Amino acid sequence: MGRHVGIVGVGQTHHARRRTDVSQAGLVREAVNRALADAKLTMDDIDAVVVATGPVLFAAVNQPEKWVADAIGAHLKPLVRITSGGGTGFAGALGAYYQIASGQHDRVLVVAYDKLSEGALQYSISTLYDPFWGREFAVGIMGFSAAYWRARMDPLGHTEEAAAMVAVKNRKHAMSNPYAHVKKEVTVEEVMSSKELAWPIKLLDVPPISDGAAAVVLSCESKAKESTDRPAWITGMGYFCEADNPPDRNMLLSEPLALAARRVYRAAGITNPRRQFDVVEVQEPYTCFELSYYESLGLCEPGGAAELVASGATSAGGDIPVNLSGGCMGANPIGAVGLIRLIEAATQVMGKSECIQVPNAKCALAQTGGGWANLRGVAVLQA
Amino acid sequence: MKANKVAVVSSAQVELRPRWGGAQHIDLISAVVSSVFKGIGLTLDDVDFIIDSGSDVLDGRSISNCGFLGAMGAHHKEESRVEEDGLWAASYGAVKIASGAADVGLIIAYSKPSESNVNEFYSTQVEPFYQRPVGFEHLAASGIQAQRYLADHALSKEDMAKVVVKRWQDAANNGRVQIDAVPTVEDVLASGDIAKPLTQQMMSRKVDGAVALLLVSEDIARRVSKKPVWITGMGDSIDRHAFSSRASGTLEACERAAAAAYKKAGWTEVKPSVAEVSASSAVTECMVLEALGLAAKGKGAKLAEQNSGTAINLSGGALPADPIMATGLVRLSEAYRQLSTPEIYGLESPTSAVVHGAGGVGMQTHCVFTLEV
Amino acid sequence: MLARPDTYAIDMEPLKSSLAMPYTLTPGRAAGAFLAEVANRRIVGSKFKNSGKVTVPAQDFCPISGDAEFDLIEAPATGTLTAFTETQFGLIGLVRIDGSDVDFPHQILGARYDDLNIGDRVEAVWSDEPVETSILNIAGFKLSPNAPVGQIKPLENPAEQVEVVKYAIDLKYEHAFGPYYGRMFDEIKNNRRIMGVRVPDGSESAYLPPRETCDITHKQTGTWVEVAHTGTVRAMSIINFEFVGQKKKPPYVYAEIKLDGASTRLIHNVYLPDFTMEKAKAMVKPGTRVRAVWSDKRTGSMDDISHFEIIDQ
Repeated sequence: MGRHVGIVGVGQTHHARRRTDVSQAGLVREAVNRALADAKLTMDDIDAVVVATGPVLFAAVNQPEKWVADAIGAHLKPLVRITSGGGTGFAGALGAYYQIASGQHDRVLVVAYDKLSEGALQYSISTLYDPFWGREFAVGIMGFSAAYWRARMDPLGHTEEAAAMVAVKNRKHAMSNPYAHVKKEVTVEEVMSSKELAWPIKLLDVPPISDGAAAVVLSCESKAKESTDRPAWITGMGYFCEADNPPDRNMLLSEPLALAARRVYRAAGITNPRRQFDVVEVQEPYTCFELSYYESLGLCEPGGAAELVASGATSAGGDIPVNLSGGCMGANPIGAVGLIRLIEAATQVMGKSECIQVPNAKCALAQTGGGWANLRGVAVLQA
Repeated sequence: MKANKVAVVSSAQVELRPRWGGAQHIDLISAVVSSVFKGIGLTLDDVDFIIDSGSDVLDGRSISNCGFLGAMGAHHKEESRVEEDGLWAASYGAVKIASGAADVGLIIAYSKPSESNVNEFYSTQVEPFYQRPVGFEHLAASGIQAQRYLADHALSKEDMAKVVVKRWQDAANNGRVQIDAVPTVEDVLASGDIAKPLTQQMMSRKVDGAVALLLVSEDIARRVSKKPVWITGMGDSIDRHAFSSRASGTLEACERAAAAAYKKAGWTEVKPSVAEVSASSAVTECMVLEALGLAAKGKGAKLAEQNSGTAINLSGGALPADPIMATGLVRLSEAYRQLSTPEIYGLESPTSAVVHGAGGVGMQTHCVFTLEV
Repeated sequence: MLARPDTYAIDMEPLKSSLAMPYTLTPGRAAGAFLAEVANRRIVGSKFKNSGKVTVPAQDFCPISGDAEFDLIEAPATGTLTAFTETQFGLIGLVRIDGSDVDFPHQILGARYDDLNIGDRVEAVWSDEPVETSILNIAGFKLSPNAPVGQIKPLENPAEQVEVVKYAIDLKYEHAFGPYYGRMFDEIKNNRRIMGVRVPDGSESAYLPPRETCDITHKQTGTWVEVAHTGTVRAMSIINFEFVGQKKKPPYVYAEIKLDGASTRLIHNVYLPDFTMEKAKAMVKPGTRVRAVWSDKRTGSMDDISHFEIIDQ
């Protein structure tokens, strides 16, 4: 499948509820500096740049890559913006992957960010809906996410308690993530009694709103050693979708996620995800999604998610730890979170995680998503 | 490493109209997607992935690709949105096929500028602290580009008007653009100042439209087409954001993008049979032709008057029809048609093409393809 | 080039919509300093440490070298006009402030287009009234033929940098209905009929909203068919928080409903008299049967249905 592509350097900002000291451009520069330093490179070594951000309405600058290009130091370089709702950061990395796999470029810098403090998030998200049909009743993504969760509750046993356990787990993991800004452990009882926002979604099921940027240097094999002895090789990566309102849309299983997983697992030689993955990073816009991902990713049978999280297997120390970074619960700069999942998965197999490191991690799974839960991506990273 | 070859084997486009008042975005998109497969022996089932270009700001909708996936034929396939001129979407599709990851890519680009105030599409692009409040945006950048270009090369507004007329005439002949009347030089000069010295008709006319192309790997190309059009080189480059900080009198990023494409194609001289280039105004069209190496500096307008070797913008180019996010992909579609069915255009036996797309205020970013048959 | 649906042409006024929302933008160090000082009638630039380049107004990153380390400097209010044009937004020129290595755009005041020449000396005109956190505290630049060339100097006693700039966008749209939505909403408005098009799978199921091609197969959809006003809740949640742009006061039930005869869901609200959270959780679930209740409105939108009510089984 073309040339091998690996992650050879990563960087992210210390995410925050609100960064008042830097503009979008400044935020981007911080992440870029860190990624280049991590990769032991300068912008001269970079052949092309991919920028990924959430929808432009989040921060009032249309085609913002054209503005932050200067901050990145990309003067006269190839540069393109890829955008895909919440999955943007990942989709950007996927675009960069092909630029290298094809031989078009050798090293590509992927930059993903969002400065959510700039705008009115729920309203911006509601503009995702068709102005003719649905927008007037839309409640951001929280409304439909909660509704689909309710639809899964009875047939699959995705109870409020099980989702609460996800919140407890991820918030606890976030305590060890130097880049997360929400650092407060909670108990299941606290989650269950937190304010109902869009029941069954409650306040503590919801990730924060964040300003943050992340950057990754992808490299072809021949140049990887200039950056690191242990790149995180991308052995499979895909990003699938489903139409937003197809006949009889399945709410129990995420079909695009299952398709992506099947395709990517085959490319990467994964036949038993539960046993082969050492660590997993998923993007959970609400806790209920993580339960659904366990099933769509084949980490357990349909209906087995509640039991899986309750068993502790997906917690630190378990056999299939999920979101040791804290996932979105620790930091949620939406446009960047897909790339942050790749960063956290990559650093695990590179042996340099700044969160809880899984000893001898060799094989990691990263998942992302966006839109109406109809854009879904999966990647396998191996060292 | 020998990269896999990529070819264009089909394209489909709706008529480009100032206003498609009777159709939504998805109507235009599903029309081109239905049409692009006809007669070539491939179906939507054969498509591995879709890359699309569109703009949230033009569409009036966040993550607008998300609501159009069905019309794009993307259900249960891989899809990605490039929020940039459509030629970049083709670029993404091409590298994906070249890497061997896929065989058949559907590339789509569309816009309906008629549904919004297009000035805002551009004014929201400039940073909001220094440029936006003082009213500096695409029109101002275009006017200043024109002021400088005309002065640098002792050219007149009439010289620019002649370029406009030629393009509109070609578009009227080509027949894929809705044109009620071809303007005369006098009409162009009298069309009202929009960004002095540019008059309204010297700037590209915004139109609604959608276009779809099929890119395929070499194996598939040889199966489905007697005359695949190969993409032999691609390059893109972005200039500084602040127009006032860019090198004056030249489109540096266009030169850089072209150089990269020509290098990949192994071209030591630039003598394509045809060229399809984008432009924001008659002035920048001339500057683009020069930056691409098709004309000497200051001679772009002369090239418009007499084709010397390379047939330029037989489709009319962007001046009569600029669907913004789709413009570069329409150029690719037109160049593909000229190379694969040259007889329609009165061409002898063209062998190569240069295709150009651009984006941003004052054409900040450029993308160039070389095609060969 | 579009296939025609089996319907009559409808001349509908496009749907007006707008994307209007408030923002609190962060200018960053350089612009934050500039915006703070411009209110004090001082013009601030950046002098970059590595390249020595000066940008006025101040920038965080040198547009020439990419440098990010800079000192703030105070620039003179005089400069040279390097280019100009006139658009609907005014007479706009590029000004090279004395000492700056780059130009920047601003309005040219008190002159006409034909009066100007490249190379003219210009001078800042301060706004009479202060403009909150804005470069428009400089109202523009005027011709100043003999303006002496000023010098840049270090910025003494800088004001506290601006951290937040209030902003808003208000983008307006007119969306064409197209033949499918046109007919559907026409029927809703005039006949209180909800119509879709047949899904091309041989069943009698309808696509709602209707469109040219099936989202799954991309095959052409079939002929028009009416769907019932009753249906089944497929998913629901109880909205209990307020947000900008919300149309209904919480708490209320958000529901995705599949009308009988449709194969797709629509989003609406289920109304419960004497609403309580417990009652809503107990009474509205996936599988609950509901019926549309029409309002008095005839606007030709889903809003013409006021809400759905539970059908007692």
